[in-house]
Formats: sequence, structure tokens, C-alpha cells
Amino acid sequence: MALKPVTIAFDVMGSDHGPVEVVRGAAQLSLESPHIHTLLVGDRAVIDDALAQIRHNGERISVQHAASFIAMDEKPGEALARKPDASVSVAARLVAEGEADALVSAGNTGACVLACARHFQLLPGVRRAALAAVYPTRIRRGDKEDPFSLILDVGATVEATADDLVTFAVMGAAYARIISRNEQPKVALLSNGTEPTKGPRHVVEAHARLGGLPGMRFIGNVEGVDIPKGTADVVVTDGYVGNVCLKMLEGVHETVVELAQYAHKESLRWRAGLAMLSGGIQRIKDITDWEQYGGAPVLGFDRIFIKAHGRSQARAIANAGKVAAKAAANELGKSIQQGLAR
Amino acid sequence: MSLPDRIDPRPPRRIYRWDLDKTYLQTEFDSFRDLLRTAFQKAHEKQAVPGASALIRELASNGDTRLCIVSGSPRQLRSVLEEKLKLDGVVWDEFVLKDNVGNLMRGRFRALRGQVGYKLPAILESRAQAPLEAEEVLFGDDAEADAFIYSLYADMIAGRVDERVLGQILEQAAVYPDEAERVLTAWKKIPVSDPVRRIFIHLDRLTPPAHFSDYGPRVVPIFNYFQAALVLLADGHLTAPQVIKIAVEMVQTAGHNIITLSNSFQDLLRRGLPLQHAAAALVQALEGPNALLQALRPMPDILSAFTKRLAALGTPPPPPSVRAVDYLGLLHHALPRTHKGRKAAPPT
Repeated sequence: MALKPVTIAFDVMGSDHGPVEVVRGAAQLSLESPHIHTLLVGDRAVIDDALAQIRHNGERISVQHAASFIAMDEKPGEALARKPDASVSVAARLVAEGEADALVSAGNTGACVLACARHFQLLPGVRRAALAAVYPTRIRRGDKEDPFSLILDVGATVEATADDLVTFAVMGAAYARIISRNEQPKVALLSNGTEPTKGPRHVVEAHARLGGLPGMRFIGNVEGVDIPKGTADVVVTDGYVGNVCLKMLEGVHETVVELAQYAHKESLRWRAGLAMLSGGIQRIKDITDWEQYGGAPVLGFDRIFIKAHGRSQARAIANAGKVAAKAAANELGKSIQQGLAR
Repeated sequence: MSLPDRIDPRPPRRIYRWDLDKTYLQTEFDSFRDLLRTAFQKAHEKQAVPGASALIRELASNGDTRLCIVSGSPRQLRSVLEEKLKLDGVVWDEFVLKDNVGNLMRGRFRALRGQVGYKLPAILESRAQAPLEAEEVLFGDDAEADAFIYSLYADMIAGRVDERVLGQILEQAAVYPDEAERVLTAWKKIPVSDPVRRIFIHLDRLTPPAHFSDYGPRVVPIFNYFQAALVLLADGHLTAPQVIKIAVEMVQTAGHNIITLSNSFQDLLRRGLPLQHAAAALVQALEGPNALLQALRPMPDILSAFTKRLAALGTPPPPPSVRAVDYLGLLHHALPRTHKGRKAAPPT
């Protein structure tokens, strides 16, 4: 079956590893995915120098020069105002104008979201956009056997209303259907208890509404411990709680790694134990490696934006491009609108 | 009384030299199975690289040209290859194939895969029979040593390579003594001139373009023959309507579209090739009546795709610099690939 051709705009600048890794990722896409055209936005000379050294298909790559970029340590609003020709702004504008079908960036998250907010429109029925994150779990889902669950919002909308939470649920479910090919994603609200009456008022209200929403497989509330178990495929919360939760989960992961390193140094017995477990640990890493997922979406806009991790290298960038292409080709925006219209 | 008509054809003003496998034909021989399949293909089963036959036909239609084919394919495939060329409407003037069986029978195993000792004397001997003023454009691919051999050939006849260096090259390339003698003999028959205008390298393996930068701007790696057509338009070998015909054929027969073609155009611009005047000529031709092209895509869309890619680059990049080629330093490009190296060129 021929795949629908799509063009993905990559903000080449501003990521932790610099433009070369983004260019490498896009080049990899040009070789692996004939239906994906890549539009590289950034310093033309830098892009050209990198591209000339990398194996790629020149028929599937174009370049848009952008004179400046937003660094990770800059304040998004101020930086975007000061640099109207920043690569992320140029890329977002091109997507808005229809020159590309989706945007991928590993740059400053705040600047990315703000650039999208300035150039894209919110879908009808969507009051606030939601920044999603994916997290590895022990459950596989959909045709792709996807181990990742989706958490939204993790920072774009700090204070969400019940309406917002319902919207997030619809958007997250639509995304899960397309990306994970999970026809009936399990959607849950994050709360401090599983009872419907637990949580702040907006969560309780959202619970009542989601329970009656047609086409929604709402399983009720989940608690923090349920996230890594994969109890829900889509976990809905406001941006404040979501961000705290996400940072904690990331911190746990890092701490486990540090503890393993400590154990490896401290005791021969522990070292031997870790060695025996190494195959399983590597397998878990292979399954849950965030780089294979590539990035997470900002949902609610009429255009697709996939936020890649700032530390993304070529493989993650390429995978983010594939996710973006899949979302665009399958008309994620339309799917969300259909869900909201019910 | 008027003078009698000339009996002999006019000498060629331009000579186009083509390789076949991976340059003109889509050939896979990176494994033994591929080699067998290729060897037993019938003419109608062979696939030309998109745009290649159209390009050859357009170049030939300008008259006073000569098509010379030097291919590493074995002589035993001559009838099939000739039939394929005829099916594609290609008319050739020279067609040299490699005596692989002869090499095998004589135990010349290095010659089976070596290219320098085969192609270099063949094209030198052909040049020795050509008019001094005839320009040349050469077409090869990135699978073997075409960039090296063609560049060496060009610099030899231009007097930029001396006999001492040539001897070192031939020795280090493990060329057999009789082949080396053929090279020297043919070379001495050629008057010094600088006829080679372009060397196009079709990137069958998608080798990074920077791999060829050491050969200078004369060598142009191309992802497709639309790119070659654009450069030839800029160089005065083709007209804009001819380029459009080549593009149309690529769209109709090979799945190319306005995006791949306009990306290809921008790719050349980003490498500093001076195509601005060619682009202007193309725009002028596109703005004229073009029913065939119009049927593919509305004209404003086509013009927009190209002009946007031109505008997207900001300051035009500088043209690639001319440099002396260090053939001894690039000799590894001329040696047969190892089995591991048969795979696509790794990213650098």
C-alpha cells in the first residue's frame, strides 16, 4: 500500500547536540522513508556542510535558511520577540503556510510551543493545547506492541479546567489510535485515589463527563504508581501535576541507573548480580528506549508538532519524523475534531 | 556549378561518454545472486535509470554529437545490451565491453575487477581518433572508480598530469604492463587540449557528495538525470524545452514529482552550481505554451515550487573551488572494493 507523501519541517538548530545530529536524522529519513520529504530549517551553510558529508537522498530534502535560533537557556517569549527569524519560528510559519505537514524540533520547548501558538490555530473546541509525554510501561498496546503510554498535559497548560481535561482525553485517545494503532485506548485521569470523588473539583467533574462520553474507553482514575504499570494508555492531568510527575519519573529512572552504577562499584556480589541481569536490563532498555519513540506531540493545534527531546541524536530525530509523518498522513487534527464533536 | 555534397558526416563537436551499469542501467551486482540475475536478464527486463535515455536522446538531437559507451559488462552481453539500447531509442557510435572471459582464461584475475587498466586505455584510444576541438561530457556512477578514471583522463590529455605521476598511478593501481603500455601509447597520440567539460557521477549508492569534492567542480555528483540536464542547460548543451521534456518523462515513467524535481534543483544550488541563468531560461520556457507539462501540474504550482526553493537559500553559496587533483592521494577510490566495501558507502 502506497503511503501518503508528507513533508516534515525540522527545526535544525538549538538542540543539545547541535545541528549535525538533526541533519543526520533527517538524512536517515530520506533514505528509509520514500514517502517523507524533509524540509531542514536553519543556517543554510551549516546544514549544507553537514549534509554533504552524510549519506542521503537529495531528492527528498530541501533547505530553508533561517538566520538565528533560540538557545536552550533563553527565555522563550523574549527570545522569539527579539529573533523573528529564529529557525523554530520560520519552521512553524512554513507549516502554517502549508509548505510542510508537520514540525519536529528538539530545541527550546517553551519557544517551540510559543512559536506554534503564534503560527498555528487551535482546533475548534480546543481551548488549550496540551504538551504530551510518552513513558515506557510494562504493557504493550496496539498493533505496534507499543510499550509507551501517553501523559498529557505535562506543562503547556498549568491550570486546566474540567473542559480542558476532557479535551486532553479526546486528543490523547486520537493520538494513541493513530500512532500506536490502539483502536480502544484506555484513558484515565490522574488523581490521588481511584474513587470518582477523589481529587480536586475539576478532576471530579471531568471524571463524570468522561464516563458518559461516547466512543471513549474511560477507565476512571489512576494514581501515580499506575503510570509505569501501564494501567492506562492515556493519562490525563493538568500541566502542573503532569510536569511534576514527569520530572519525578525521569528522576527515578536516573536514580536507578546511579544506584546500579554504585552497586557495580561497591560489591563484587552486586556486580556479579548485575552482570547476570545485564541481558534482561538491555532488553528492557531496548523495549523502553525513548529514542525509538522519537518525540511527543503538542496536541490541540490545527498542525502537527512533535517535540523531540533536547538530547535527541539522529535515531530519535528520524523516529520523531516518522511519528510526525504518521500523525499528518492520518489526519490527526481531523480525528481530534471528530472526537470532540461527539 | 555548385560543389558536391559532402560524403562524410561532419566531425562531432561534442562527445558524450557513458558507462552502463548503475549509470545508464539500474543494475544490482553487489552479491553473486544479483550478478547471476543481471547476467540472465532479457533486454526488456533491464531498467534504465530514470531520465537517462531521455537525456541521451535530447543530447543526440542537437546534432554533431557522438555517443561512446565504455562498460565493464562482459562482451557476452553485447546482444542483450544493444537490444536494450535500441528499445530505448538510443543510437551509439562506439560500444566497448570488457573481455572478462579472456581475462579469466589468461589468468588475469586483477583485470576482472580492475577498472583503471580497462577504461583508461579504452577512452584514451577513442579520444585519439576524435577531433581536437570536440568537447566531452562523461557519465559514470559511484559504484566503482569512474570519478577517478574520468578525472585522470581529463587531466592527462590537458597536460596536467606528467608521465612520472601517471606511472606511479598505474603501478599502484596494479595495472598490467600491457595495459599500461596501451595507456601510454594512446596518450602520446593525443594532442594536448582541455576538452572535458563535465563529469557526472550518478549516485546509485547515494555516496555523500563531499566524497567527490577533491576532484574539483568539473565532477558533479547527481541524484538523478534532471540534475544533469539542468547543469547541461547551464553549460549550453541543452535548451530549456529539452530539459522540460526530460523532466516530463521522469514524472510520467519513474514516479518523480514536483517536489523531487524542485528539491533536486535546490540541491545543485546549495552546492554552488551557477544555475541562475538556467533557471531563468527554464522559467521562460515554462511560461510558454506547454500542454504536456500543464497536464501534470498547474504551471503556477511548478514555478512556485522552484522559485520558493531558490528564495529559501538566502545568500547564494559560493561556487565550488577549482583545485589540483592529488591522484596518488585518491588512489583508494580507484581500487576494487573489498567484499565488505561492496555495500553502500557508509556515512562519514
